[in-house]
Amino acid sequence: MKKLFFCLVIVLILAFKGEGDLFFIPKYWPKPLYNFSNNPITKQKVFLGRVLFYDPQLSKDNKISCASCHSQYSAFTHIDHALSHGIHDSVGTRNSPALMNLAWQNLFMWDGAINNLDVQALAPISHPAEMGSNIIEVVKKLNASKYYRELFYKAYGDSIATGEKTLKAFSQFLVTIVSANSKYDKVMRKEETFTKQEENGYSLFKKDCTSCHKEPLFTTNNFANNGLPVDTFLNDFGRIKITNNANDSLKFKIPTLRNIEFTFPYMHDGRFKKLSEVLNHYTNGIQKTKTLSPELQQPIILKSNEKVDLIAFLLTLTDKEFIFDKKFSYPKHN
Amino acid sequence: MHLSCLKKQTGVIVLCLVANLLFCQTKKVALNFNYMFGKNRLVLNDSTYQLERNNTIKFESLKFYISNIELLENDVSIFKEKKSYHLLDADSIYKIISLTLSSKLKFNKLKFNLGIDSVTNVSGALGGDLDPTKGMYWTWQSGYINFKLEGKSSLSTHQKKEFQLHLGGYVYPLNTLQAIILPIGTQNKITVLFDLQQFINKVDLSKQHHIMSPSAEAMHLSKLASTCFKVE
Repeated sequence: MKKLFFCLVIVLILAFKGEGDLFFIPKYWPKPLYNFSNNPITKQKVFLGRVLFYDPQLSKDNKISCASCHSQYSAFTHIDHALSHGIHDSVGTRNSPALMNLAWQNLFMWDGAINNLDVQALAPISHPAEMGSNIIEVVKKLNASKYYRELFYKAYGDSIATGEKTLKAFSQFLVTIVSANSKYDKVMRKEETFTKQEENGYSLFKKDCTSCHKEPLFTTNNFANNGLPVDTFLNDFGRIKITNNANDSLKFKIPTLRNIEFTFPYMHDGRFKKLSEVLNHYTNGIQKTKTLSPELQQPIILKSNEKVDLIAFLLTLTDKEFIFDKKFSYPKHN
Repeated sequence: MHLSCLKKQTGVIVLCLVANLLFCQTKKVALNFNYMFGKNRLVLNDSTYQLERNNTIKFESLKFYISNIELLENDVSIFKEKKSYHLLDADSIYKIISLTLSSKLKFNKLKFNLGIDSVTNVSGALGGDLDPTKGMYWTWQSGYINFKLEGKSSLSTHQKKEFQLHLGGYVYPLNTLQAIILPIGTQNKITVLFDLQQFINKVDLSKQHHIMSPSAEAMHLSKLASTCFKVE
């Protein structure tokens, strides 16, 4: 009996250790917002989610996967595309967001249209300019595949795919995509030090940027009008579309700045290609409208050498281990 | 197994049964919904109905959620169904909701919500009748469609004469959830009627032929739908 108990303890320790490897809360980070008790992480479910994420069969024409617009080497966004594009080369209306640290977010999309990570995948799967399918079709395809029946069996003890199980598996993989090993993180953990230029950039960042791009996640998860003039072709007024509240006109989700080196082009419509253009917008391009963020009412003044220093700091948010981590890459069938 | 052990077990089972009979007798109350067009049973797809001024209408789909079913006695709740979420579909009229309650309980009102509450609306991926594959979940903006009515009518100004009323929205001030209370007797079979004629007669399909997001119109029509239930 004692032996059995001992074995059980060992098994439990190993099991928890295994899951800790899949998802962890970095030191000094706040509590995640994702409700893990509704969807406890397991290795098999994460793997299923990862297979789904990379599977083009989820789209109507079997050509576009989630990874098509969220590729790992660009911190899970669509590099070099201002607006995301999908099946039949159709072009969307917004810049695909970079995916990372999603367990610390509660509203998704540039306008916060999605209220829970579990239901996020429904939007791109159904959008006619993205994957052009729907969850009913996707579940049908999964149930018709021997490989998926096996994966569902391993994950849930039941080979039948449902909407709920499919979506929860997506969340399992998505929450494991954590980026917390940039130079910035190593400096905070006292493993490395900033150069003088980066240090100066960090001081400027704390003075001018941190109220919206709050450490350690580099966002407050709020919505703000950052003074961009409206693109008269797209006519996108952001969060007001969801809330019908005039105070939300021209507000968009504040994105994280982590891995910003790879996530160009920038802004909800991808209008800026370079970080220098972004900084020039904040110093010289702010358009004053009723809902402009209070933080931007007073002009931000940066000399050109200060802009260079600030960019040097922003580049310390690059997490190469994250970009190349095999845990997040295309899953080989096994 | 020893005989004594078996006897002991049988004894325990008999005791349990007796205790059950004495103290915790339960009864089943069957609740079902019928879909009407005036005095007649609603027929989807095949029937064309007459509206005022020689207009006609054909229904292709009628689905709605009811949730949080309760029985009341003199306005005090005496029974609440657990995990009470049911998708009702006029295409499958034989769905019976079975409520198990103590046989001593008396009640004189039935209470339920038309739609899904706000907490459930933000709870992520859910299963059973709440699974997004049921086609009652919006994809571009999270939230359940509480009530869905689709069809064709000469009144619709849409080019194909279609109408699609998808009523939903869980955020104040556009929260479309409706509480419904109906008087009933202490009976074992409750049949609730939903009269679509009463509803559609008050909808202006020339203006409102497509509602696909939370709005003031969705609020108004949800309230209207909540008045079209009665007990047979």
